[in-house]
Amino acid sequence: MIELTNLHKCFKTKTGTVTAVNGVSFRAEDGAITGLLGPNGAGKTTTMRILYTLMKADQGSVLVDGLDTTRDADAVRRLLGVLPDARSLYKRLTARENITYFGRLHGMDEASIRTNTDRLVEELGMADFIDRRTEGFSQGQRTKTAIARALVHNPKNVILDEPTNGLDVMTTRALRDFLKTLRAEGRCVILSSHIMQEVGALCDHIVVIAKGRVTTQGSPDELLKQTGESTLEDAFVKAIGADEEGST
Amino acid sequence: MRTLITVMIKELTETFRDRKIIINGLLMVPLLVPVLILGMGALAQSRAEIQLESELSLPVLGADYAPNLVAYLSTQNIRIEPPPADVEAMISNQERDVILRIDESYADDWRQSRAATVEILFDSSRQDAQIPVRRVERALEGYSRQAGAVRLIARGVDPALNQAVRVTYRDLATNESRRGMLLAFLPYLLILTAFLGGAYLVMDATAGERERQSLEPLLATPASRVAIMSGKIAAACVFGMLVLLLTLLSFKLSFTFVRSGPFAGMEVTMLAIGKLLIILLPMVLIGTALLTLISASVKSLKEAQSYMGILMMLPVLPTAILLVNPVKNALWMFATPFLAQNQLILMVLRAETISMVQWTTYLGAGFGLGAVLWCIAASLYHSERLAISA
Repeated sequence: MIELTNLHKCFKTKTGTVTAVNGVSFRAEDGAITGLLGPNGAGKTTTMRILYTLMKADQGSVLVDGLDTTRDADAVRRLLGVLPDARSLYKRLTARENITYFGRLHGMDEASIRTNTDRLVEELGMADFIDRRTEGFSQGQRTKTAIARALVHNPKNVILDEPTNGLDVMTTRALRDFLKTLRAEGRCVILSSHIMQEVGALCDHIVVIAKGRVTTQGSPDELLKQTGESTLEDAFVKAIGADEEGST
Repeated sequence: MRTLITVMIKELTETFRDRKIIINGLLMVPLLVPVLILGMGALAQSRAEIQLESELSLPVLGADYAPNLVAYLSTQNIRIEPPPADVEAMISNQERDVILRIDESYADDWRQSRAATVEILFDSSRQDAQIPVRRVERALEGYSRQAGAVRLIARGVDPALNQAVRVTYRDLATNESRRGMLLAFLPYLLILTAFLGGAYLVMDATAGERERQSLEPLLATPASRVAIMSGKIAAACVFGMLVLLLTLLSFKLSFTFVRSGPFAGMEVTMLAIGKLLIILLPMVLIGTALLTLISASVKSLKEAQSYMGILMMLPVLPTAILLVNPVKNALWMFATPFLAQNQLILMVLRAETISMVQWTTYLGAGFGLGAVLWCIAASLYHSERLAISA
């Protein structure tokens, strides 16, 4: 379980201070998929980076299975499987070598790395390219490898930043099924997306973020009820407040 | 430690799978060495031979004033040429290295047994002119001594009286030290190779990886950042030492094929190679730690590469300073980066013994500086911005 409380994060730029995250709080339960939904630049990636300990929040706290991300950063990282927005592979290594490298960095022994890799290869359908060098991989093959790399240590909590970005329909479907398997295994899954349908089709709990704030959250049904709209897309547009400003 | 080795192996695997890097980074210098040694040796030798043994063309101004002198010069393998129209232009255009001018008053002075004036015209800034000028000088001295002796004998004086001190020369340079002089370029080459041999790898492993956005997932693992960084530094050190080893072996091999010229008979012993590698190890560490530090503080690989120009100048500095202001070996030198390596490499090449104090001072200072740079780089690795590439 992951709990975020009142997160704040500012960046200093040449032109002034930009507030990326401005009081985000939500809870992601085990055995559920939580979706962070928001337009580009809403603060999703920054929120996730704080969550997986790459950044420190100016204010607020994150608890992963009860452990604080600032005090026990190392322990938290062990509990997390992270697919960051930046997910490039080492192109001179094969997919398997990429995965093994991360397994070793997680301190796993070679046998467990092999078993876990084989399981992920099967679940993600990577058998035909697992031993090829990743140079020239398609977007789908790259994403699958990156996901396998992120999950090789069998983490209880899975954080995915825009996992279906740039994938075709078939790969997206396969990936959704995979995420449902993770949920069925009782893991806590958090993913971010700016695509309504995606979040609607997958998530048990949706957190809508805009301009660094949580504008609304709840199950897809609750979201419809709260906004009084009939489709999720309308509910999303209303929730992020784009309607009033007349922008998309 | 496990992380360090994991990262090191991965970085080396990646590097060795890139054929271009292997050719450019690993084999270029070792392959260049034989060309350098054999080519330079042959060039220097043929040049010296041509200049020393071939007939020297010497334009003479006022040859009519001193027919005997001119006749004497002709016997010294010097071909007398008629004077050019514009003497200075001839020298500055490098048509001739040296021109002789005989003064109008030469004949008068000669007859009165006064010192008769001749003038050697040359350009002292030209390396090439040195040997021809010396040849002309020597010929003139010979003529002067001969004529002077005849004059003294004619007056009933022993010419030896004129010589209160007789100077003879004995060159105590050992074979090794003489070659040490010839190999003045070797320290620079080795220091530069040590300093920047792992540059590609280390810049790519930090700045490149950051630019390709693969650093973020890496730093999201529980592996400690210091261990990851140290693994990258270690990989670059291994690569750097490998380049050095190949370069030195290439030197050893090249020298065995040299039959003539200044490098003939030169030998690089395995002991010398071992010593040189130990001398250069701190340099490799300093170079890779410095480059890691730079790579971690810049925004892109390009920006990191822009430092290369300055870095390549650093190893030249001590050599340049010593050239202008030669000083005796003192202990402080062995604690000064670049200068220390320069001195120690020269000592090894001259087959001089390096004392225990010098070794400890050097290794202490070298590894000390490396450790300081490593610490600064490690602190940069902990910065929040490092992982955030986009």
